[in-house]
Amino acid sequence: MTIAEGLSFGLLGAGAFFFMAGSVGLIRLPDRFTRLHALTKADNVGLGLIVLGLMPLAADVREALKLGLIWILVVIAGATGAHLIAKRALRGDGEDAQ
Amino acid sequence: MTHRSPGLLAKRLFLRGALFAGVWVLLVGPDPVAWIVGGPAVIGATVASLWLIKGRPSARPGSPGSSLSLTGLLRFTPYFLWESVRGGLDVAGRVMVPRLRIRPGVHVYRMRLRGRPARVMFIDSVSLIPGTLSADLRGDQVSVHALDTRAPLDAELRRLEERVAGLFGEVLDHQAGVDSPPAAGGAR
Repeated sequence: MTIAEGLSFGLLGAGAFFFMAGSVGLIRLPDRFTRLHALTKADNVGLGLIVLGLMPLAADVREALKLGLIWILVVIAGATGAHLIAKRALRGDGEDAQ
Repeated sequence: MTHRSPGLLAKRLFLRGALFAGVWVLLVGPDPVAWIVGGPAVIGATVASLWLIKGRPSARPGSPGSSLSLTGLLRFTPYFLWESVRGGLDVAGRVMVPRLRIRPGVHVYRMRLRGRPARVMFIDSVSLIPGTLSADLRGDQVSVHALDTRAPLDAELRRLEERVAGLFGEVLDHQAGVDSPPAAGGAR
């Protein structure tokens, strides 16, 4: 195993840990808001580390940049989606309001 | 459309079109056949984005918050990445222990940012730094949901807001919202 591969596996493992933490939070936390906390933050770092871990294994520069772009798009979509879900939950006017 | 001048509209069309085309090429690759889908997608994204910023105060050129600052970006990026890691570790430390370590609650923060892109950046970033989630926005009042209301929320949020202001070249009013009307968007 080369140093680059070792680094990749380390980063991928760390990313997987954060995804697991996010999932544990989703299951254990009591309400929508606290669950959104777990998902947005853990997915941001988790996917970021997975992307960093995959970059050294990418075939060319475009593929590495593409991974970075995917991370940025997912983070924007995740944070924006979390805000919109939280807003509906806070105002209690969503379709599934209790 | 209510854009100031045809020249400005053309410049915006070109810049945004080039940006979305770049995103497409990066995601899909330079395959010319793929442009059967990519062309309409790029045009649709460009038109939608221009339509969404139309007539918004912060979209005026030369006004604060209308363009990104390179030094602001260089300062924001490491800060954002570090806060992201802290945010992830914070959540993991609160849920991966036998007894959940949370004291959730909603905290209201008065936002000083004026430009719309800066506000969107702030609202999204709030959910990625440790312990905070932006839950609502009414005028200047941001409802921030906190995992632990004992944390120094205002200090963290002010720091983030200052970094976002630097990113968009905006100068924050330190008399936070004392005399300004609670209108949405830039009352400038």
